[in-house]
Amino acid sequence: MIKKYIVDTTLRDGEQSPGIAFTVREKVTIAKSLDALGVTRIEAGTPAIGKEECRAFEKIKLACQNAQIIGWNRMNRSDISQSIACGADIIHVCVPASDLLIREKLRQSRSQVLETLSTCAAAIHTANRELTIGLEDASRADWDFVIQLIETARDLGATTLRFSDTVGIMSPSLCKATISQIPANIDIEVHMHNDLGMAVANSIQGLRSGAKYADSTLFGIGERAGNCNLEHLLIATQGQLDFGISLDELQWRQADLKSIIYKNELLYA
Amino acid sequence: MVTIIDRTLTSFDTAGMSARDLNHFCDLLFSCGVTKIELTPDLLARLGFPSSAASLRKWLGDRSFFLTRIFPISLDSSGMTKPQPLWKLEPNDLVEKNIPVSKLKSALSPHQKIRITGLEDLMNRDYPTIFKALLGSGAQTLDLCPSNHHHCAAAIALEWLLAGGTSISCAFANHHNLAPLEEVLMSLKLHQPDAFSGDLSVLSELCGLYEKCSGQPVAKMKAIIGADIFKVESGIHVDGVLKNPHTYEPFNPQTVGNQREIVLGKHSGRKSLLYKLNDPGLSEPTVHSILKQIKSRCTQLGRNLSDLELQTLASEVQNDKKIYC
Repeated sequence: MIKKYIVDTTLRDGEQSPGIAFTVREKVTIAKSLDALGVTRIEAGTPAIGKEECRAFEKIKLACQNAQIIGWNRMNRSDISQSIACGADIIHVCVPASDLLIREKLRQSRSQVLETLSTCAAAIHTANRELTIGLEDASRADWDFVIQLIETARDLGATTLRFSDTVGIMSPSLCKATISQIPANIDIEVHMHNDLGMAVANSIQGLRSGAKYADSTLFGIGERAGNCNLEHLLIATQGQLDFGISLDELQWRQADLKSIIYKNELLYA
Repeated sequence: MVTIIDRTLTSFDTAGMSARDLNHFCDLLFSCGVTKIELTPDLLARLGFPSSAASLRKWLGDRSFFLTRIFPISLDSSGMTKPQPLWKLEPNDLVEKNIPVSKLKSALSPHQKIRITGLEDLMNRDYPTIFKALLGSGAQTLDLCPSNHHHCAAAIALEWLLAGGTSISCAFANHHNLAPLEEVLMSLKLHQPDAFSGDLSVLSELCGLYEKCSGQPVAKMKAIIGADIFKVESGIHVDGVLKNPHTYEPFNPQTVGNQREIVLGKHSGRKSLLYKLNDPGLSEPTVHSILKQIKSRCTQLGRNLSDLELQTLASEVQNDKKIYC
């Protein structure tokens, strides 16, 4: 079987699902369970949110034995400083890649994006932390700019490049064609949303086309229709891909965590 | 043109479903883009074929049948009145085959009308080559009905149609573990718009009727039809959506009969709060205090606050700043 790795984002993208909210203690409980399960990287949250989030990070860092802990950041020096301060192993910088996000959300230009990214990377290296870069809305971005961002990420010393289908519109064949075209000199991570019900299929195609990591969440929670559901991904790839995670163990651990994740039964319906 | 077959009602407990609901359910399926609705013979009498129902039943025997629509030519030369479409029955003469991928080619005979079921593991295989072999088999009709046991059925359905397949079978809301109809339709609309002409704005109504008749709630975050999929809470996304909804929406919520809603929770920021309260006179410390209370309450409750709860909380904070600030 081909060896692949899971980046769990239940505590970051998953928690952004409307109505889902964890206390510090609940975050630590979930992280410990993911760590015991064999998840390679845990995206534990966004330290820039505030003190509680930073406290959760520090406790998660102490509680986890093996998993690397990722701090998620906007492309912003202040956010990054907080991630560094609360001890994240990996500092992830999210870079809007589509012209739509650059123009409408950031109100910047492509060159400003590249410039800010370089400044952020320098701060992370100064703090001796691992840098990973995520291309937000990459599936709607201009391909030439995506390539430019990938080359920049590599030159800036990023170890992993996250390709995000932020609004979940890709088809498996498009995903396969796109990921196959990314140069092999950087580790690739695929981050698929489930708006068309294709997050699992797209993650599989991404992994089969060269991605090393797939992002997922428990119960598939996340913005709108959610992220790639870890349990479903394991079911769909049994005997084909080896994530080092037992499906049986995931199922009983997930059942144990259900009352924390869905405090309100109506959300689970 | 692509044939989309809906099989929801073949595995539905329709005993308690009224004729009115059944007919409305079929109407909505046709409106959203379904070409054929597969039904079981016991539903015939409730479909408005009264005079010939007995003989039709005899003609169909125990076979399931397809309900299709035909559009009569208008006799009104002014073109002012469009005639209502008529429903037509066709026997289902597809031969169903559930065979492993390795034996697919040898199991297909030319000139047959075939429905292939199963195939849930196609995403782990070289599916373009498999599709090519299937399409070259010479079958008169080749309908694919992928199983959703691996949670990839909608993806398989879309890839089949993109590869040149012309017939796909699905069921609404992942019913009976078949490809979710609503996902297949929206994927087709986005990826092969020329092959799609349905009106997906009826999906919301269809979803309500499905829940009523099946007694099964549809998950709040179910792709395309979930009630909560256009709720936006996190500050980053609210910021984007308020500037331009297209930033964080794959399609306009109204396309599927839904609407966008900014909700407040643990991840809300000041922009969301100011938007919801619509009170530009709020001071920064008050905004900060209200947000702090919202985050705390939502984490405790595990849900968003309603508008009424928000108004009450905001009033409490403003009236008793000593407690909250």
